Amino acid sequence: MRTKQPMHKRFQRGLVKRIKNTGLFIKRLWSHKQGKVGLILVSFLILVAIFAPIIAPYNPYDVSERTTKGLAPSAKHLLGTTINTGQDIFSMLVYGTRVSLIVGVTSGVCIAFVGSVFGVMAGYLGGFVDTLIMRIVDIMLVIPTLPLVIVLTNVLGRDFWIIILIFVALGWTGLARTIRSLVLVLKNSNYVKAAELAGASRWHVMIRHILPGTSHLVIMSTALSSAGIMVAEAGLSFLGLGDPTAISWGKMLADAQSGGALLFGAWWWILAPGIGIFLAVFSFMRLGIVMEEIANPRMKQTSSVYKIFKSLDGSYIEDVFNSMDDDQKLGIPETARQGGKTHGTHLEA
Amino acid sequence: MEPILKLRNLKVVFPTNYGVIRAVESVDLDIGDRECVALVGESGCGKSVTSQSVMRLIESPPALTQVDAIEFNGRDIKDYTPKQMQELRGKEMSMIFQDAMTSLNPVMTVGNQIDEMYMRHQGDSKKEAREKTVKALELIGLPEPRTRANSFPHQLSGGMRQRVLLAMAFACMPKLIIADEPTTALDVTIQAQVLKTLRGMQRGCGTSLLLVTHDLSVVASIADTVYVMYSGKIVEKAPVKDLFNSPQHPYTVGLMAAVPRLTDKKKTFTQIPGTVPHPARKPSGCYFHPRCEYATDKCRKEMPPLMGQGGGREVRCYYPLTAGGNM
Amino acid sequence: MRDILSMKNLSVHFPVKGGLPFVKRGVIQAVSDVSLAIKHGETFGIVGESGCGKTTLANAMIGMVRPTSGEVLFNGMDLCKLSREDFKKTRRQMQMIFQDPFSSLNPRFNVYQIVSEPMFIRGEDDEETMTDRVVELLELVGLSSEDLYRYPSDFSGGQRQRLGIARSISLNPSFLVCDEPVSALDVSIHAQILNLLVKIQEQMKLTYVFISHNLADVKNICDNMAVMYLGKIMESGNSDTIFKRPLHPYTQALLAAVLDTTFDEKREQIILQGDIPSPINPPVGCRFWQRCPKAMQGCKTIPPEHLQVEEGHYVACHLVNGFPDVRLPDRYDAPVDGSKK
Repeated sequence: MRTKQPMHKRFQRGLVKRIKNTGLFIKRLWSHKQGKVGLILVSFLILVAIFAPIIAPYNPYDVSERTTKGLAPSAKHLLGTTINTGQDIFSMLVYGTRVSLIVGVTSGVCIAFVGSVFGVMAGYLGGFVDTLIMRIVDIMLVIPTLPLVIVLTNVLGRDFWIIILIFVALGWTGLARTIRSLVLVLKNSNYVKAAELAGASRWHVMIRHILPGTSHLVIMSTALSSAGIMVAEAGLSFLGLGDPTAISWGKMLADAQSGGALLFGAWWWILAPGIGIFLAVFSFMRLGIVMEEIANPRMKQTSSVYKIFKSLDGSYIEDVFNSMDDDQKLGIPETARQGGKTHGTHLEA
Repeated sequence: MEPILKLRNLKVVFPTNYGVIRAVESVDLDIGDRECVALVGESGCGKSVTSQSVMRLIESPPALTQVDAIEFNGRDIKDYTPKQMQELRGKEMSMIFQDAMTSLNPVMTVGNQIDEMYMRHQGDSKKEAREKTVKALELIGLPEPRTRANSFPHQLSGGMRQRVLLAMAFACMPKLIIADEPTTALDVTIQAQVLKTLRGMQRGCGTSLLLVTHDLSVVASIADTVYVMYSGKIVEKAPVKDLFNSPQHPYTVGLMAAVPRLTDKKKTFTQIPGTVPHPARKPSGCYFHPRCEYATDKCRKEMPPLMGQGGGREVRCYYPLTAGGNM
Repeated sequence: MRDILSMKNLSVHFPVKGGLPFVKRGVIQAVSDVSLAIKHGETFGIVGESGCGKTTLANAMIGMVRPTSGEVLFNGMDLCKLSREDFKKTRRQMQMIFQDPFSSLNPRFNVYQIVSEPMFIRGEDDEETMTDRVVELLELVGLSSEDLYRYPSDFSGGQRQRLGIARSISLNPSFLVCDEPVSALDVSIHAQILNLLVKIQEQMKLTYVFISHNLADVKNICDNMAVMYLGKIMESGNSDTIFKRPLHPYTQALLAAVLDTTFDEKREQIILQGDIPSPINPPVGCRFWQRCPKAMQGCKTIPPEHLQVEEGHYVACHLVNGFPDVRLPDRYDAPVDGSKK
């Protein structure tokens, strides 16, 4: 009775379905106004990061240009140069995208992975596992982050992989906690019970019901924590705790500060990394919020009530109201109908 | 006699992305002095929206409302400001909801919550209010009212919470009480208790009651006049006795037959075929015609008007059924 | 006729945890000392108010809850003593229909996925066979193949319940537990679903356990029934007999509390006083005595036994069975005024 299809065929079918679903997802993102903005910006940033060497006109690491110190933005140096070393700021900005994106996205994805694995384990397995994981989470949550980061970077070194590791180690707890509570709800839902009744293994329930049920949270958290970590990374670099050999936006700001950008009025030196950070965070936030909206089946894609109201034609509603009227009432005294007045003044606006 | 509440030509729509939802379509409602009027219908028929419109609780947006008159106790309240309405609510008209757990404040003792009614609307001192509260709780049959007044909502059982809601609604002896599915969440034996109390209180206080429910058996046990709603329209209005003895609208007949009785035959259940139309995509003509076994071409094309049948009865059907007639 | 399922002295207790770890605050006696037998092909009704343990009892029947003591025999096999493999095989025969049609379907699954899931779990993975079977099931429950790729949110409550039924019969079970299958639905849909259940039962020769708080439903659909109160069976037997001649005061009160749509001004109602006590510390003696209009002093301390009073009609009440011949307290038959408690 069991006619298992060969493994590779099943795998292939699954893969095709995955790709189809992903395509559908991106399509829906695209049809959402804010999603479109986020999608464009994020892909733009990714392209910039990938093609940095082609885009950047100068080598940003080159500190030997003595002649170009402190130039204001011009056609030759789009965003000017630094005061003390004469590096091209536009090129630095472009290369900085790499560090920021890699740190942000890698930690975001890792956090999502670690957080959801522990969250689902705690919620679904329960008992001792649950207690253990939740106690660890509790402990992690009360540790003051910044001092710990300072200590760790001093001990472990400032390679940016280590920084990612630290972010992940400190960042997964919040997500794990939220996911756990969601899993507890899902676990007790009747459809899980129905699956268990049909003989489903824990594995089946976890893969088919629990994990997809948490997907909207995970997706959103990936995007939002990526954005958050980009800011945090900039902060660390600004404090001088980032990777000293890599150019990142935070480090650019730190250099600007120490190099006296404010003193000499080199506004471009501060503005450029600021714009970079803003763009990255903004686009990831947008994307995250819209992705959650799409992935969550309970959040219907209704635009706001006000928008609907604005789009309504007043006379159309008047027609609807009039169509409801009873033309006549037979044999019932006292009902002379006058046209009523519409409450809901937003129509006139 | 002049009715306590006269609702004329109420229309409520909800514009949504899927189209305009016609929740209530031209509803007239009269509630006499000391009368218990029941508004019956299935979920989505607009009965709750109608009752909340009477209290002016439907906000715009999301809803758009049009009404000729909401005459309450001789005054037209349709243009009252929110402040005036607040004055009115609780004091002259009040509401009982289905879910007592969510309509009571979980962090206040039930006594304090009822006290507040007296203090706000009758200007009583804390002490006077508490005396009245205890009396009110006693009246609705809560055992040991003085100690119970100091308990929090979660410490009471479902039936007791519903009683507390009753006490709150009746606190200021309002002219009109709107009860929205007051016993749906309760067990049968508790439901019987609460209904009896509600009926007793209503008679004793001389209050009018608008009972919103889907349960015909509740209607039979407490109402005087019944309005049956279907898909936003009143389809039948009749005194309770007449309605149950000889329902005239096919929907009412079907609804009554669909309620299983202890006297029914085994393993056969009379059903109304089909489902309630989606409120944004209602059929042409009479809204009930796709499910009606008597429907003709006329029913498919034109919405029948409400027709008076004498004896306070009205029915929205071209071919009203008469007792023993075409049934 | 053979029993498909029988329970002997079944008890299910849940510990209530206190604030401190390893400290029990009490025990909820959800089901205590229940013995029942359900025959092949019948519909067995379980009636009771909320919190009386009827859902826990149903869960114990299908092995979703481990009994604290006692045994559940399905076709003669003790569910608790079966090996994992055998248990899995046996459980294929048992399915459940849930009360809330909204939470019992995964909102991320389409109709095909929902209905085919049990088959998928049981190792079927040929999509064509599954699709054929799903379409067949959908037509059986009154939906069509056009609905195959729609999502639960596109359906009304009644249609969702039909989906739930299709899912539960997809593995050809022989034993189906219906946990309040219609109480969340509209009145006009109510009858449709009940008729569907009856039709499926005839076609598939199913045994139903029908849990409900609606006595009229139970009377009309069930062959045999049991009335539960606070985890105990008060009265059980043929449903016609019980409805014709209810012997337990609780059953009588329940019947009297049923409101009818026949308009009758002079109906006598027995309205029970008080609320259902908490199952954490249920009363000693008869569990119903505090609300019982006919309670006697002896009812407070001596738990009544569930005894046969006539062919297939069991009652647990001292009033009917008389007190057992043990040392009785003084004035054991003096009435207790139930209303004062």
